[in-house]
Amino acid sequence: MNSGLPDGSCGPDGGHPAQESPPGGFRPLLRGSQRFDPSAAHRDILVFDDVHKAYREDVPVLKGLSLEIARGEFVFITGSSGAGKSTLLRLIYAAERADQGRILFLGRDVSRLAPSSVPFLRRNIGVVFQDFKLVPNWTVSQNVAVSLEVLGVAPKVVRQRVGEALDRVGLAGRGRDRAANLSGGERQRIAIARAIVAEPALLLADEPTGNLDPQLAVDILGLFEDIHETGVTVLFATHDRSLLDVRPRRVVVLDEGRATDIRHGLNDDAAVERLKVA
Amino acid sequence: MKVLERAWRATKADLRLHVLSVFSVAVAFVCLAAALLVVVNIDAVRQRWEQSGRASVYLRSDATSQQVEKVRAALSATPGVGGVRFVSSEEARREVLGASNDDVLTALPPEAFPASLEFELQDDAASERIAQLSEQLRALPYVEAVETYEAWGERLKSLLSGGVSAALLLLGVVLLAVISVVSSTMRMALQRRSAEVEVLKMVGATDGYVRGPFVVEGAMQGAVGAAAAVGILGCIHVIIRSSFDGALGTLLGASPSFLPWTACVALVLLGAIIGAATAAVSLRQPLVGETCS
Repeated sequence: MNSGLPDGSCGPDGGHPAQESPPGGFRPLLRGSQRFDPSAAHRDILVFDDVHKAYREDVPVLKGLSLEIARGEFVFITGSSGAGKSTLLRLIYAAERADQGRILFLGRDVSRLAPSSVPFLRRNIGVVFQDFKLVPNWTVSQNVAVSLEVLGVAPKVVRQRVGEALDRVGLAGRGRDRAANLSGGERQRIAIARAIVAEPALLLADEPTGNLDPQLAVDILGLFEDIHETGVTVLFATHDRSLLDVRPRRVVVLDEGRATDIRHGLNDDAAVERLKVA
Repeated sequence: MKVLERAWRATKADLRLHVLSVFSVAVAFVCLAAALLVVVNIDAVRQRWEQSGRASVYLRSDATSQQVEKVRAALSATPGVGGVRFVSSEEARREVLGASNDDVLTALPPEAFPASLEFELQDDAASERIAQLSEQLRALPYVEAVETYEAWGERLKSLLSGGVSAALLLLGVVLLAVISVVSSTMRMALQRRSAEVEVLKMVGATDGYVRGPFVVEGAMQGAVGAAAAVGILGCIHVIIRSSFDGALGTLLGASPSFLPWTACVALVLLGAIIGAATAAVSLRQPLVGETCS
């Protein structure tokens, strides 16, 4: 993880008085007086605790959603259109605020972060979107490097790590190309490289295969799985059932504002049956 | 990436918008710089006339050559007075008419060009005594009048204060114009670069980081616009000076001068400061509202 990490601080669940963190900084919670908290490694990276969210009062999107994501997990978030997949992800990186409930990321409630702390939260989270969100007139390298530049990483290190990230997503040697000149699949790979180049703790993917053909979608999923193998926690939101069938991963189904957890993927027949009954 | 590099990259990508903005800022600054130039030159003429300590003693037509010589000798012997010169009626006529073929001027009677004694006061102490000296000269029976040009100095002072007021008013207008131009340009640039801003905010850039290049661009637009205005005015000044230098110099007693370099630097700095401040303020609200979706 890159930035915003503490020397040691504490929060409500730590049982110790919180250490003062620099103003405007996002500081995950660790036990006070310790530079390293061994128990933090076993704590859930992400906890949704009775989260409510509504864009209109009469149409709630999330109704008391509770969910725990452990470190290093790969979780599919699925559900029909409008079920709240994107909202759930946007709540994590503080593009939206929960109306009620807590969202703990690394022990800190992100729904109560001061606006000045939000950038520091986002430096710990990589996000990949369906529409890529690239700057078309920038080169591939520039689009990837931006994640490191905001951290103030030295240009030499930026070049090296951008090269490594592009290599990981299969775009080695394409750094000088304009993003606008690349295909959809390649653009999504740039977006993934940008999301992982700063080595975030958590990678969010919001329908990343929505604009790609089925074969490319499977390739991109494979890429996310490769990244997950390196220890990154991945939340992959998709409504594409075929992708969920590919791997027996944990699936969280959003329906009518609540989450149903299928721990062993859609191949867990008993769990799927329970879901159908519900 | 350094903020200057990011600003330069953005400027290159949207060069046309920036050039238009610089041009608009330059037009506004030309007005201000021109007003300043006028003020500077009026002040130079005023100072020249005040410091020159010239005076003319106009003699009666019936003054004899002995009387004239007596006054001339007395003036020459006065401490701080020098360059006493007798200008006859014919010489005065020739100086005024010069190469002119103006019928009205040539028709003027000889009384319109009285003989005079011209002299200069060579130090400040003498300049301060000019009023007393004038009184003594006027008391002489063969002296018609004494012209010390003080009245012209007063008129120029009045003109100067008017010029300063006009320049201050123009400064206000220029401020409004530059704020309006830079603010509009920045908002347009923000709109055009919304994808870039969205990406920056998504990867954890602070508002200050996002705003940085815009502030630099605003400062550059202001500074380059002001510098261009000074350059344009400089060219105009050179053209006017080369065409009218001799005539203007004779008429005013001083050559037209350009703005001092300190004023030029101050104008460029003023442009940069207004541009930067406007960009910072005009993007405050839009950036707060900008979130990735």
